Amino acid sequence: MNAMKRRFAIAIFGAITIVAAACAVPPAAPPPAAEATRPADPVGKIEGQAEQVAAAAVMTAMPPKPGGSAARAIELAKKYAGVTLNVTWEAGLQSQDPLLFSAPEFERLTGVKINVIETPFTELFSKAVADHQAGGGAYDVLNFAPTWLADLADGGVLEPLDAYIEQHMDKNDLSDLHPTYAKYQQWKGKTYGLWDDGDVFVMYYRRDWFEDAKNKGDFKAKYNRELAPPKTWQEWDEVCSFFTERGKANNEYGCAIQRTAGNTYLWFYEQFRSNGGRFFDADMKAAINSDIGVKTLTDMVNANKHMPPGIEKWGFVEVLQAWMDGKLGMIITWPPIGRWSEGYGLESKQLEWVPKTNVAGKVGYAVSPGGHSELAVGFMLGVSSNSKNKEAAYAFIQWLTSPEVSGQRVKIPFALRDPYRMSHFNDPEYAKLWPNASEYLKVLQEGAATGLADLGIPGAREYEEALDRAITAAYAGTDPKAALDKAAEEWNAITERIGVESQKAAYADWQKRLGANAYP
Amino acid sequence: MTLQHRARNKRNGGKYALVAPATLMILCIALFPLLYAIVVSFQNIDARTPVGAFVGFKNYFDALRDARFWNALGNTALIVAVCVTAELVLGFILAQTLVSHLPGKRFITPLLILPVVIAPLIVGYTWRMLWDTQYGPINQVLGWITGRPVEIVWLANPVKVWPAIFITEVWQWTPFMFLVLLAGLAAINPEYREAAEIDGASSWQVLRFVTLPLVWPVMAVAILFRALDAFKVFDIVFALTNGGPGTMTETVSLYAYSVGFRNFRISYMAALTLILIAIVSVAITVLWRRMSANQERRA
Repeated sequence: MNAMKRRFAIAIFGAITIVAAACAVPPAAPPPAAEATRPADPVGKIEGQAEQVAAAAVMTAMPPKPGGSAARAIELAKKYAGVTLNVTWEAGLQSQDPLLFSAPEFERLTGVKINVIETPFTELFSKAVADHQAGGGAYDVLNFAPTWLADLADGGVLEPLDAYIEQHMDKNDLSDLHPTYAKYQQWKGKTYGLWDDGDVFVMYYRRDWFEDAKNKGDFKAKYNRELAPPKTWQEWDEVCSFFTERGKANNEYGCAIQRTAGNTYLWFYEQFRSNGGRFFDADMKAAINSDIGVKTLTDMVNANKHMPPGIEKWGFVEVLQAWMDGKLGMIITWPPIGRWSEGYGLESKQLEWVPKTNVAGKVGYAVSPGGHSELAVGFMLGVSSNSKNKEAAYAFIQWLTSPEVSGQRVKIPFALRDPYRMSHFNDPEYAKLWPNASEYLKVLQEGAATGLADLGIPGAREYEEALDRAITAAYAGTDPKAALDKAAEEWNAITERIGVESQKAAYADWQKRLGANAYP
Repeated sequence: MTLQHRARNKRNGGKYALVAPATLMILCIALFPLLYAIVVSFQNIDARTPVGAFVGFKNYFDALRDARFWNALGNTALIVAVCVTAELVLGFILAQTLVSHLPGKRFITPLLILPVVIAPLIVGYTWRMLWDTQYGPINQVLGWITGRPVEIVWLANPVKVWPAIFITEVWQWTPFMFLVLLAGLAAINPEYREAAEIDGASSWQVLRFVTLPLVWPVMAVAILFRALDAFKVFDIVFALTNGGPGTMTETVSLYAYSVGFRNFRISYMAALTLILIAIVSVAITVLWRRMSANQERRA
């Protein structure tokens, strides 16, 4: 019996040890060396069309405008020749820009080495915070979504940039930013990031389907109005169901929007506010479960019926595949699909995973139904407060986001950075990249002007995730009202945990700063 | 002190020196973090508050009132109960079949073990493609069988998502159970079975009264290991559903990951996991006692 007790005790101790080791302890963030870091590849590795574009960019990069932000950043960075900056960047295609173009070019110009630390999107936030909380210094430059700015600034992760901007930036470059994106860079009166990616949803539609005489006639007969790109969400549903009924037998559908968990809240944000919804009431109580919220979610659930089967699990790639294959009439998604639809850059090695386009020359662009596109996610660049080379890190991000360099980066097909400066929207070279590129730029600019910013207050990620869970639950059959009530409860709990008064002030500040880009 | 005593002390000193590195390592990687996690669980560390203040049992009370935590715990318990049972039954059948000299055994056994050596995340993403509504082979095969297009949305339906998770999990981990039970069955002296058969016992009686009692000690350990492992299930569910739709398939590990590493509520995550340890410890204690009692009765 004693032996049994001993075995029992050993087993319990063993079990506790195993579970403790596995569950209880937050594993420390791996050091940068353990990340998927790669040395910057030479630009010479770029192949095909991208090679030409990148090479052209390098050639035109020299010399930068004297006295401009790029030139001043280069001079500043030369003081730090030999220093290595650790820069976080979203893993995969996003990182090809710094790996193949920006980092080697900056090193060539300044002698400062850039170590690109590729990180999955959702971990860009957690690794930055983990590093800061551990006393850090693992990163010098941080790539982050604008909605995280409040949390990162409040948490002390980001270094205020005002003094650097005052001393080193050509102030004309600030006014070159599209006014919408310029609103984002500050938090509580201080600048914590430089804008780097003009993400905005675009509605892409098949012009040839809309211009087809039979389609036009049949649609008019059914709905007693002209077949045209939808301007309201009701029109979107009608056009979508019309094309789906017409093409389903051939595996063609009227529309598709990615509905899988993770980002589906962005389309709710867009449609909800276009319908007149507000995130919070005057007492900072969640209002997403208002009548407008319930109607929005109900409409989203109903819209799934006209989309391809299994749409609830479709992400960006599934939509891209079906769209490029020519199987969809309309999609609402990020700007790169517009470029790829025309085959721009698809010859490059970096984009060889993108399906070949069957829709080149057949695509039209518009802002989303309701007249307001979501300014979905985007990217900013900041300096880590724990960096040992803050000035060099700042010099790098000033150079990257300067009109000259960013103007080149938004034209590199695999860079995934979208226009955000007036000089980008008005770039005659960009307008010549494919036959209707000027129309594309016009819609992106209109989207930025009338777009709706993601909710950017402390706890933004938690609010987004709670809403996202509610939406996917509704897709799976949960009553939209019940799903949103639960999400609203979670939102209120988040608000109370962070502090009702401080959240009220942050929300008021967000609305004031963003103005019509917060609510139309 | 006699020479004998000195020699014994010297021998013991040598033993302690030998186990010291392992003990130290266990203390460093398990005990210290566990104690640190306990300290953190009484603070309020999050993304905005890197240096936490003492908040007493607040995180524990919040966790006990957290419906999402209990939902995740229920989902985890369901996965443990269904999958470990299925793996045990299937693993035992396979082991029983292959323990005898079956033709092709040398070829079949390594093949059966293959799933267990694949990283669970890869298994999850692979099966996610298999379960795909439009292009997944599973719906296609069902379509061939039924003679009409099958468009089952496996991974976004609150009911159908469970078989998808169970089958994926069972596919990966049955080989583990099979391997352990095969070793257990191979170690049984065949004379016991032969004696029972000579005494006129049927196949079922041999299995029930000879094989199972003899293999039980090995089986109990296998169940314990798999139950503990299944309780931590993360990768496969993460890849298949990420806990969705909503939180319908969220497991405790996924929830803790979400709280700790997506929302950075470090103290709350520490409290959640410590509650989990308490629950698992109690469950393991009860399970082990029952298993030990069964073994003693049989002995």
